Amino acid sequence: MRPAVLLGIGGVLLLALAAWALTVGSAGHALRALWEDGQAGLILREVRLPRVIAALGCGAALAVAGGVIQGLTGNPLADPGLLGVNAGAALAVVSAIAFAGVDAMGALVWWAYLGAAAAAGLVLALGSAGRAGATPVRLILAGVVVASFAGSLAAAILLLDAQTQDVVRQWTVGSLAGRSLDAVLPLLPHVLLPLAATLALSRQITALSLGGSVAQGLGQNQALWRLVASALVVALAGAAVALAGPLGFVGLVVPHMARLALGADYGRILPLAALLGAALVLLADTLPRALWARDIPVGVTLALLGAPVFIWLARTRR
Amino acid sequence: MIFAVLVAALGAACLLALGSGDQPLPLREVLGALTGASETSPVATTIVTTLRLPRVALAAAVGAALGLAGAATQALLRNPLAEPGLLGINAGAALAAMLVIVQIANLPEAALPLVTFAGALAMAALIQLFAWRQGASTLRLILVGVGLGAMAGAGASFVAAFGPAAEVQRAMVWAAGSLQDARWVKIIWLAQWGAPAAALLWLMARELDLIALGDRVASGVGQRVHLVRGLGVLGVAMLSGAAVAASGPIAFVGLAAPHMARRLVGRPHARLLPASALLGALLLVLADLAARRVLAPVQVPVGLATALLGAPVFGLLLWRKRDG
Repeated sequence: MRPAVLLGIGGVLLLALAAWALTVGSAGHALRALWEDGQAGLILREVRLPRVIAALGCGAALAVAGGVIQGLTGNPLADPGLLGVNAGAALAVVSAIAFAGVDAMGALVWWAYLGAAAAAGLVLALGSAGRAGATPVRLILAGVVVASFAGSLAAAILLLDAQTQDVVRQWTVGSLAGRSLDAVLPLLPHVLLPLAATLALSRQITALSLGGSVAQGLGQNQALWRLVASALVVALAGAAVALAGPLGFVGLVVPHMARLALGADYGRILPLAALLGAALVLLADTLPRALWARDIPVGVTLALLGAPVFIWLARTRR
Repeated sequence: MIFAVLVAALGAACLLALGSGDQPLPLREVLGALTGASETSPVATTIVTTLRLPRVALAAAVGAALGLAGAATQALLRNPLAEPGLLGINAGAALAAMLVIVQIANLPEAALPLVTFAGALAMAALIQLFAWRQGASTLRLILVGVGLGAMAGAGASFVAAFGPAAEVQRAMVWAAGSLQDARWVKIIWLAQWGAPAAALLWLMARELDLIALGDRVASGVGQRVHLVRGLGVLGVAMLSGAAVAASGPIAFVGLAAPHMARRLVGRPHARLLPASALLGALLLVLADLAARRVLAPVQVPVGLATALLGAPVFGLLLWRKRDG
């Protein structure tokens, strides 16, 4: 199938999925209520619509970030969650709320960028130092340790600051519950801009993913493009964390699915990954509510779905 | 000589921990309360023997178990970064406990160590199983362990989302990794489960020396590698299970203690194992003291304190090993 056709079908399916997700909730309402006045319309527009938008946005951002980071590090196990980037962003957001009293989403996202950049720098430095360079296991270990440190520090801050704990309790495990439209809309540009930039630069990412000598042969300025790719990952992961908290495994699983379908060209993989990531997060958020009428933090569902894929990848890796 | 110093340091740390708290007590009072000297005030005696002593003793016992388990794991996996916490074995034990605490309302407390042991053992077996592809490479073991650990953690949250609120509350307090609820019965658990495991590992010290050199070398000199690894994993699971049952999952002690021990006494496990146990006890007593006192009156769960202290140590090790 031609990639454009595949993407078109994927887009239509995603829209249908989003429409269905709008109808799922403790008070099931039909989709047409979206345009009606009254309580049903209010619920759809004020409660469910922001949640669906947030799911789509952070899913697309994390999946693309995962694809880029896998190409950048040449590591099939890389993922913004596993590599501690999300945890760093979350720590920065928690600190900003607790110590600086920041509460506007539009301001918090800059803190998320800062934390994501610091964690990414630390993990890449720890994981790729030395003669052997960045072996997958070193990167993962560095990521696990940075994530554990940032997570513990955030937990300690929350322990001391009950007020902040109350604000972010759901968010720290990765949850989309209780988003308002006012909180979600300011973040959309922060998701869409880096997303568009990454898709536009996908040729350079493909070159990076082919490894040092090939990229050199293609005449790529590698130092520059590595930096650009890292900045894109940080921007995407930071925005996603601001939207939904630290979600793991989306960035790991989705690029592999896209690669299985479309091969090694990031110009094709990344758009499909964005669609699939959005669909995965939306499904993981909506299915537990549809099946068991329970609101399970989406980060938990994603880890349960994604960890087996990680194990499978670790097994089959050459 | 080194062991005498370690024991003395542990003793000093314990006395320090017994003396400090919201009501600071001078050393003389602490010693008097411990020995039952008649001139010690009854208040001081109560504080030391019934409030602080169980906690300090539990910290030492859990720390020793974690240090031992870490040293054995590092030998079995031939990787100095391996640790039951990092490999998800503690997470497996915690998930099992979470499931049982939430599902069975009137669980007899004495059954908890059995449950956590089963969880730790099942996790160790799963890691081996999934990492097995014509032999188990240590890299795959670690990666699979990280993945399974993440899954067990998410599973515990999942169970918490579905369980009845009261039971979940009980389980959450325990899952944070805290020594706050220190009672003598928990120290008995550690003695029951940990002592046989410690004895087993101690008797295997020479075998651990061999297996640390590599499976080929070990089987070349006639070791039954798989039997030794199986017994070693059993011992590690018993120690981890008992430690998790007593205090919830506590990370990084099992990583840091064996490293410090290796610097002090070298590689032979006959010396490394007891030194790791002593250092683990020392580390956890000090970490718990810090967790109690640094932000007093707020008590930080000791699991958080060890993660904050231990993660930089781990990062340093990763940096030091960058060329090999």
